[in-house]
Amino acid sequence: MSMFRRILFLAPLAIAAMQSSFAASPGVTAVLSNSQPAVGQMVQLEIKVNGANSANVPETISIDGLEIHQTGTSRQFEMRNFDVSSSVTYNYTILPLKAGQFKIPPQTVRVGNDSLRTPELVLNVAQGSGNPGSSAGSAQSGQSTVGSKIAFAELVVAKKDAYVGEMVPAEIRLGFDPRARGRLQDGPELSGQGFTTQKLQQPRENLETIGGRTYQVYTFKTAIAAARPGKFEIGPVTAKAVVVLPRRPSAPRTTRPRSPFDLFNLDDPFSDPFFSDPFGSTGERTELPIQSETAALNVKPLPPNTPPNFSGAIGNFTMTADAKPKTVQVGDPITVTSTITGRGNFDRMNGPALEDERGWHKYPPSSKFKQDDDVGMSGEKTFEMVIAPNEKKPAVPPLVFAYFDPVKENYVTLRSTAVPIQVEGGAGPTAATAPAVAATSAAPTSTVGVTPAPTAKPQDILYQLIDLGRVRSFTPIYARPVFWIAQLASFILLLGFVGWKIRQAKIDNLEAQRTAALQQESGELLRKLRRGELSPQEYFSNASRVVRVKTALVKNLNPNAVDAETAAKAFDLGEHERAQLRTLFDRSDELRFSGSGNGAKTISSEEREEVLRLLESLRA
Amino acid sequence: MKTRIVISCAGLWLLCASILAAEPSAQFAKANQEYAAGDFKAAIDDYEELVRSGRDTPNLFYNLGNAYFRKNDFGRAILSYERALALDPHHPEAEANLRIARDEARALELVPNRWERIFAFADENQYALAASISFWIGIFSVATWVLGRGRGRGPIALSILSLSIFVIAVGASYELSRGKNGRGLAVVTGDKVEARLATADNANRVLTLPAGSEIKIVSQRGDWVYALLPNNLHGWIPSNSAEQVRL
Repeated sequence: MSMFRRILFLAPLAIAAMQSSFAASPGVTAVLSNSQPAVGQMVQLEIKVNGANSANVPETISIDGLEIHQTGTSRQFEMRNFDVSSSVTYNYTILPLKAGQFKIPPQTVRVGNDSLRTPELVLNVAQGSGNPGSSAGSAQSGQSTVGSKIAFAELVVAKKDAYVGEMVPAEIRLGFDPRARGRLQDGPELSGQGFTTQKLQQPRENLETIGGRTYQVYTFKTAIAAARPGKFEIGPVTAKAVVVLPRRPSAPRTTRPRSPFDLFNLDDPFSDPFFSDPFGSTGERTELPIQSETAALNVKPLPPNTPPNFSGAIGNFTMTADAKPKTVQVGDPITVTSTITGRGNFDRMNGPALEDERGWHKYPPSSKFKQDDDVGMSGEKTFEMVIAPNEKKPAVPPLVFAYFDPVKENYVTLRSTAVPIQVEGGAGPTAATAPAVAATSAAPTSTVGVTPAPTAKPQDILYQLIDLGRVRSFTPIYARPVFWIAQLASFILLLGFVGWKIRQAKIDNLEAQRTAALQQESGELLRKLRRGELSPQEYFSNASRVVRVKTALVKNLNPNAVDAETAAKAFDLGEHERAQLRTLFDRSDELRFSGSGNGAKTISSEEREEVLRLLESLRA
Repeated sequence: MKTRIVISCAGLWLLCASILAAEPSAQFAKANQEYAAGDFKAAIDDYEELVRSGRDTPNLFYNLGNAYFRKNDFGRAILSYERALALDPHHPEAEANLRIARDEARALELVPNRWERIFAFADENQYALAASISFWIGIFSVATWVLGRGRGRGPIALSILSLSIFVIAVGASYELSRGKNGRGLAVVTGDKVEARLATADNANRVLTLPAGSEIKIVSQRGDWVYALLPNNLHGWIPSNSAEQVRL
């Protein structure tokens, strides 16, 4: 018997043995996903039967105050060292309807001929906030459940009463059923008039169970500040999202198999099998407008007894101040740094002012803000003010900063202590004393600010001028016609310059062409003369032409106007060469005018050599 | 005969010109006398009349500023000194009195930006003039170099230098024209003028401006102007509470 046949024979036996082995010891367990839920918070119950492929379990479990439904079954097979085990898990969903302690009694599970019982389970249900709008504290909200249970928008304003300019924290919450795969397209936008809103920050995203349903909630934080007193309706919050909804099949609803989500609400759009098997069917992308309810805000005006240095800061703040350098000359700049820390409307805050500005030249402060929260309500704002003493001063005067505290409902003036400094040069000090503390923290004082009375004698202005002077214009020079006329004149000058240069170039070019032609002619003639094939008439004519051309090149003359004397002078020849040149020109003229028949028909080589030497000696 | 007519016309023209020139000087002297006599209101009227007639001289605005200062109208005094300095940026008396007036009024000043501080050694007109001259020198140098068929390094070096100066001068002139002392510069003439967030008397305050404070007008809407304030914020102020420095 072959090995293969042996395996075929033994395999069914082994399978039978395995089946008998895990059928022999079935067991059951029951587990709750959460034993202390709140009312409306869903809990999963798992009944797991080990050592069996299937079992009979109750479809519903009836307990007063709990709604329990079976939602599904799953099976597992496991093989370890040829030891195969299987289990089946039955899932139930429990929805607590009221608070209290509930006992889930043992349930009977039938596995084949065996009857198993689950252990008793205890569920402690707490009284919880089931609804999304029920925020804690004094917050109020406007909520909407637009789109049935697919999405909601909610506006949570932290206070019902506020002062003009006070920053009130607010939250915008947008929730989507995760199955709808909601994606924000527009917004959210907070509409309404008479208040300003801080820029919305990136949302925080989390899963929340609200009213027994799980939502993907996006929370945007902001702060609002009313511009005038009165009763305001904040909102509504509007947003537009794209969600995926199942396509409605034409078959009647009752024929559709129940999905796990369809247990408590048969109108649930997600009861569609699409959501049970997203890849088995197609969804429909739908644009869904979302809108919240409005929230009311009662805005009160600020009290009338405004301190002199109050610039609109509302909140709760502390102040520190310092000045550097501590030793300066009169007129030298000192940087006074003050830091306002706390919570409030930093965006409308002006820097602290000097309590006594007399004898100081000051420049407007610059500021930078470091926020500690998402909306810029909490943090520290640092002001840097440059001041310069006009005279000797013992200290930088105290800084004063006034704000309105909406909790205490009164104005608070912070006053730093003076920073002692040493001012060298200039006149003596005119201002008052200074405490001996350098960097100090300010403490709140009375609600009424103090404007110091002038203590220094005002400086007097300089004399009148008796000369009226020359009339001038406020108009910038480039906006005056004369400026542009000057530019036009320069442009015309440029055109003239360019034209002149071009003309010069052209002239230079003609001269160069002429020179090149003459040089070429001279070279050609000399080559002919050296070859010695010419008649005497041609020879002397060419030789005299070479002299003329060379002279013309040197003296920039017309070659035809050159005679023997001109040529001799141009090349500064001696008497002998001069005589030779004259002879050359005479011979040339003679041969030209008398005809070629007179005299010898050829030229002797000595004569030729002599003429060539003469021609080659003609150099400038 | 013809020569006589020409001479007569020239003489007549010179006479008229001298009379016309003498008239503002006389009024200026009269205003100065009124100032010396302590009649600051009459002096202001006379100086203002000269301003209205278009005699925009730095000394006139300086004297007018002094007269306003004596009347404790620090806003207009500072405005006049600023006008004197707009016409002559190096007017020492106006500079000195402006400082005193600002101290008296506790006026706020706009902060010059970094570029304005860098280019502070000349004014907008001087930079514009420098830009124009360097531009033409540069262009002529380029033309010389091009038409000289690229011969010589002198013209090209000069053109690079000149055109670099041109670019810097244009940048400086532009920065100064839109900076603190640019065209939008205005001075608050009323005292404790409230700059607000919106064009309404009950809108929230941005800053309280003492008389003589500098602002930079960005736009105008009806009876309100939108301006950059000394604390680098923007706000609306009534248009009749501030005057532009450049007339």
